[in-house]
Amino acid sequence: MTILEVQCVEKIYTTRFGGNHVQALSNVSFTVEHGEYVAIMGESGSGKTTLLNILAALDKPTKGDIILEGKPLSTIKEKEMTSFRRDNLGFVFQDFNLLDTFSLKDNIFLPLVLSGKKAQTMERRLQPIAEKLGIKQLLNKYPYEVSGGQKQRAAVARALITNPKLILADEPTGALDSRSSDSLLKVFNDINQEGQTIIMVTHSTKAASHAGRVLFIKDGEVFHQIYRGNSSNDEMYQKISDTLTLLLTTGGDRNE
Amino acid sequence: MNSMFYAHLAVQGMRKNGKIYLPYILTSVGIVMMYYIVSYLTYSKSLYNMTGGRDMQMILSWGTGVIAVFSFIFLLYTNSFVMRRRKKEFGLYNILGMGKKNIASILIWETLITFSSSIIAGLGLGILLSKLSELCTAKMLGENISLGFTIEKQAIINSILLFGAVFLLILLNSLRQIHTSKPIELLHSDKSGEKPPKAKWFLAFIGLIILGIAYYISCTIRDPMSALLMFFVAVIMVIVATYILFTVGSVTLCKMLQKNKRYYYKTEHFVSISSMSYRMKRNGASLASICILSTMVLVMISSTLCLYIGKEDSIHNRYPREIAMETYSIDEQYTNAVKGVSEKIVENHNLNIDNLLYYNCLPVAGTLGGSIMKIENTGDYSKLTQLYVFTIDEYNRLMNKNETLENDEIIMYTNKSDYMYHEFTIDGFQSLKIKEQVDEFNKDIVNDSSALSVPVVFIFVSDVEQLNKIYDFQLKQYGDNASLFKNYYGFNLNCEDNEETAIFDEIRYEISNLQSKDENFPSVKTDSVIYNRESFYSMFGGIFFLGILLSVVFIFAAVLIMYYKQITEGYEDADKFEIMQKVGMTKQEIKKSINSQVLTVFFAPLITAGIHTGFAFPILLKLLRLFGLCNTSLLIGITAGSFAVFAIFYVLVYKITSISYYKIVSKQ
Repeated sequence: MTILEVQCVEKIYTTRFGGNHVQALSNVSFTVEHGEYVAIMGESGSGKTTLLNILAALDKPTKGDIILEGKPLSTIKEKEMTSFRRDNLGFVFQDFNLLDTFSLKDNIFLPLVLSGKKAQTMERRLQPIAEKLGIKQLLNKYPYEVSGGQKQRAAVARALITNPKLILADEPTGALDSRSSDSLLKVFNDINQEGQTIIMVTHSTKAASHAGRVLFIKDGEVFHQIYRGNSSNDEMYQKISDTLTLLLTTGGDRNE
Repeated sequence: MNSMFYAHLAVQGMRKNGKIYLPYILTSVGIVMMYYIVSYLTYSKSLYNMTGGRDMQMILSWGTGVIAVFSFIFLLYTNSFVMRRRKKEFGLYNILGMGKKNIASILIWETLITFSSSIIAGLGLGILLSKLSELCTAKMLGENISLGFTIEKQAIINSILLFGAVFLLILLNSLRQIHTSKPIELLHSDKSGEKPPKAKWFLAFIGLIILGIAYYISCTIRDPMSALLMFFVAVIMVIVATYILFTVGSVTLCKMLQKNKRYYYKTEHFVSISSMSYRMKRNGASLASICILSTMVLVMISSTLCLYIGKEDSIHNRYPREIAMETYSIDEQYTNAVKGVSEKIVENHNLNIDNLLYYNCLPVAGTLGGSIMKIENTGDYSKLTQLYVFTIDEYNRLMNKNETLENDEIIMYTNKSDYMYHEFTIDGFQSLKIKEQVDEFNKDIVNDSSALSVPVVFIFVSDVEQLNKIYDFQLKQYGDNASLFKNYYGFNLNCEDNEETAIFDEIRYEISNLQSKDENFPSVKTDSVIYNRESFYSMFGGIFFLGILLSVVFIFAAVLIMYYKQITEGYEDADKFEIMQKVGMTKQEIKKSINSQVLTVFFAPLITAGIHTGFAFPILLKLLRLFGLCNTSLLIGITAGSFAVFAIFYVLVYKITSISYYKIVSKQ
């Protein structure tokens, strides 16, 4: 079942005085199936953050549309957008974006409180997630008291607690050391195995090697994609590295 | 050369942080200006020469003291805002290889620049405005003033010395902060992960208790004299309690609300409460200051305005009749002479004596402990009591009664409500049985006596003989300081002011004629309301003027604190605003939440100030009685009115300062 369809998305930024046009995405199309774990890779400036912002409905494409479970995002009114995002999408950011004034628990509760859920419901949902992410002992701590990896787990818990259709992760390992990265990626694998659809934008080959499919973006287009098939993480890592080398050195033939 | 480099760095740093520095410098300018103006007035020769000017200068010199202490605290406080922002820059310099000594020289330059600019601008403005303030004073004292510009050297020297010292202390404080901190701390000082505020139940509880006691003192105080003593105690208690409650109490309250899950996990409370506890931890002190300053302004303005407006009341209480003669004897030979002179002169003017009041009495001061009155100087001023002795005949005549008394009996009237005894003993003289404690006596006489700040006891004795015995007794006790009998003869006239003063002058002249003819003639005190009115006006005008001056200073300070609060909160909220948006709050929701927090935080001081003022009311009422003013409804009206005006002003300031807040938050 297709959960997300990206149809011929184009994004052109116009500078304030209308002089320069910058084409961030020229023609991006792909689909994501339910339960997939997709990594999007590309150099800086390749347009991957723009793509993520468009997927997150934080930004609008100049052309084309995004269809989430059959519903085109362009049909959602601006007013409903926030609650739509809150209910359907979960976000994990590079810099965690936890609020200092909340304990981890309250940070995780934030989206639920915003949708008006009851305290008991929230507790009930939190328990299994906290257990899974191994932050049960930390729930009453404040962000400044825990490590980066722990903060990111809390952020993941916050993304998961609304039972979103899609998790969008923007360089989730970017601010973590390698051990924390590993354990976070394992968490992603685990929740993916339980059926959670994940789209992750990343620089890191290591992070991407955990995904089920890797999309490469170059110059605003999907340049290439790799499916995991039956390969192990290491083999996947090798494939990604090879593709990246190719991508960088040759400037790229199209290789669909 | 080298030092110029630091000066350059200092100037650059200040310019870059203009949003923080400019208000800081403006505040110092304003405070220097106000200080100069007030201290100019205390030295001003022309004010000295006005009627009532000397009293006013005395009141004002007290004002300079207040401003001096206040400016020190206040500037130190605003400087802490400035330092909070600057530390990061210093941290960077430090890491780039600048020693703490070099940073110190930058700080010294900054302080020098701030000091000199605020002194120059402040004194300049002060000198310009000093003439204006002198004109206002003259207007209030009802005097004319010669034009011309004067500068008081002493006031300038005082200002420079005071603010030199203040800025030196501020500099030392900043240097201490830099000296004791590490570079990395400096670099991250404005963003260091802040510990969540903790609930401090005990301290919050103590704050509540202190506030309760202060309120209790104000509500239960009985007589004006102890009101005067306890007023400052109560004020200090309220200040301490306000600081505790705003900093600790509010956090504790937030924590308490957080514990209530049903309440806490609601969209409209969730974000507000948790950020509120941080907000209060950081800004509680500012809010407490705003609250205290507002209370001071309210109390000062309402009481001084009440005095100013109620001066007629005050005059009437002090002088129940327009023209009054107090003859210090009850010998009819003399009292009838005074009466006769007055009647004849009024008749000569074809007028009638109106609203006549006359009586004989013996006023004696003593100390009253329990039911025993000691007629001697014990030095115990807390028990000081004024005793008025009348004969029962006078009581019957004044009150239209028909009472008779035995020799050792009295009737008593007192404003000291806790007199519960059945006898009244004049120590060493006689114990008198109280036949009855009446709850009414001639209002004019009572009001006149209540202008005294001590409790008053009226006793009515059986006859003149008894009265004379008491007179003789106190004569024996006090010797040269003994009291004299008093015959009061006062009336109103229905005529123009100048005719009335003419009549008064004639009476005074005739009485002095009588006195010169008969060397035994007792002294007579003559009072005309018209003459006394002027000095009342000048005194109350002066107090009102000081009230306004100090209020201006305090309002000035309160506005600046509000501005700083908005700015610092703006910077703190800006980051949060962004995160919340990413996490899924709509802009409206964020705005609503922030709005409700900002509103609560902002109006808490105003409301608390209102409550403080309300509880200050009973004590103010007693204090105003010192000035012979007992008009409760006037004080209520004026206090409510000033609160309303102040609230409007407060809202305006809020609106204006919140513009800069929203600018920062929305990163425009």
